Amino acid sequence: MSTGDVRRPKVNEISTKAVAADGDKPDATGPKSSKAGASKSTSSAKSGGSAKSGASRPGGKPGGGKGTPGRASGGKGRKPVTPVKVNQGVNWGPIAMYGTAGLLALLIVGFGAFVLIREASKGTWQERAAAIPGIQNFLTSNPDWFQYGTEGNHKNGVLEYKTAPPVGGVHNPVWQNCNGDVYTSPIAKEQATHSMEHGAVWVTYRPDLPQAEIDALKSKVEGRTYTLMSPYPGLDKPISLQAWGYQLKVDNASDERIDEFISALRQNATVEENATCGNGITDATEKPLDLQPDNATG
Amino acid sequence: MTTRTKILGAILSVALLGLGVLAGALLARPSVPSEDSADVGFARDMSEHHAQAVEMGMIAYQNAVTPAVRTLGGDIALTQQGQFGMMQAWLRDWGYGPTGEGKPMAWMKDGESYLDGNRMPGMATREEINQLRSAKGKDLDILFLQLMLRHHVGGRHMIDGALAEASDPEVLRLAEQMKQTQGTEVAVIEGMLKDLGAKPL
Repeated sequence: MSTGDVRRPKVNEISTKAVAADGDKPDATGPKSSKAGASKSTSSAKSGGSAKSGASRPGGKPGGGKGTPGRASGGKGRKPVTPVKVNQGVNWGPIAMYGTAGLLALLIVGFGAFVLIREASKGTWQERAAAIPGIQNFLTSNPDWFQYGTEGNHKNGVLEYKTAPPVGGVHNPVWQNCNGDVYTSPIAKEQATHSMEHGAVWVTYRPDLPQAEIDALKSKVEGRTYTLMSPYPGLDKPISLQAWGYQLKVDNASDERIDEFISALRQNATVEENATCGNGITDATEKPLDLQPDNATG
Repeated sequence: MTTRTKILGAILSVALLGLGVLAGALLARPSVPSEDSADVGFARDMSEHHAQAVEMGMIAYQNAVTPAVRTLGGDIALTQQGQFGMMQAWLRDWGYGPTGEGKPMAWMKDGESYLDGNRMPGMATREEINQLRSAKGKDLDILFLQLMLRHHVGGRHMIDGALAEASDPEVLRLAEQMKQTQGTEVAVIEGMLKDLGAKPL
């Protein structure tokens, strides 16, 4: 600690005691400024005085505190302005300073913590998907569906899947184009499954869905990459959404979960990051076209 | 030292300690743009915009009859697929998903005014893409050049938006590069259209 720091608390003590001293002898020293000077030196002495102040005080005269002989020697030096300020009940200066600094620091800490917590609470796409009511995650319930045997992941011809529509597994060597493609007649599920492997969300609907509902779905797909949409005959619910490993079935196109599903899983649910949705098959045929031999492409 | 000073000192020490821990936590990780920033919005939307250019470029690479058009198609597809990967890598590094919620272009000032449905400026409709896919010969070459010209000119709005509002140096660098190369390609495409006796859309 510096000398200044040592002095400061002393000044506090002094000012408290100064009040008492003034009470004892109200008229002894006359003007206010002199009082302060007097009380200062008095209390310095009371508190034991330091060698320094003792030495600088000629004859222990009042007003000689802090080594300034000024007042006693007849206005030779500066006015004791500082001692006047010191003469208060409580010295608010340091309290205000430390208080403000502390408060400011706490505010910054609090804000920073808020930002960090908010970022962390957004969650991963898997967490956001898991939070959608009614969603099915087959990656955890049936991981074996997504394992390929020695025959690889690409197979021509009509394939059997455990769910309707499928959510992954072995698929046609060529994918259905999925850059926001809206197919108005059924497409080959074997090709759409390949699209999902590339990260696409496949929106399917029962062919008897009212046109207004179809248009509402269309507005969520058209112009957006990594999505495709088609009617699916025999669907057990009016609308079903699929992504690699995930499925959600809903009753109408205004269901908020549709946007949540697309937002969480589009381009996220994939086993082939950055694989393209362009350059796929754009023909809508219920049976796969089998344009390439088995295991010909990625 | 009085009790009060000690208490004040203790409070200040704890606050400073907390400040230090926080500063460490924030400084230890690289600065990351916020999710609603132009940087994140541009990376996501330009990825989608690029995906369509890749699709069109590949169609031209496979089916165009004019050698220069075929070369241009392959060049655009490869370059933009590469840039797509860069932008996706940024998003992953920053801890954001490849796609956002809600409408495209929201990151840019007046961005939504450029939208046609979900389509960002310059993007072709699915009908136009399918038309390109089924076109043959010189017709395909011309349609590709016309669609790609419009695609580049539209994308320029997004590039300018990023240059005006993004802050990440890598984003600004790539946006500047896109502005240069696509600007050059616009002139090339206009020349090719002229050579084929056609006009822009």
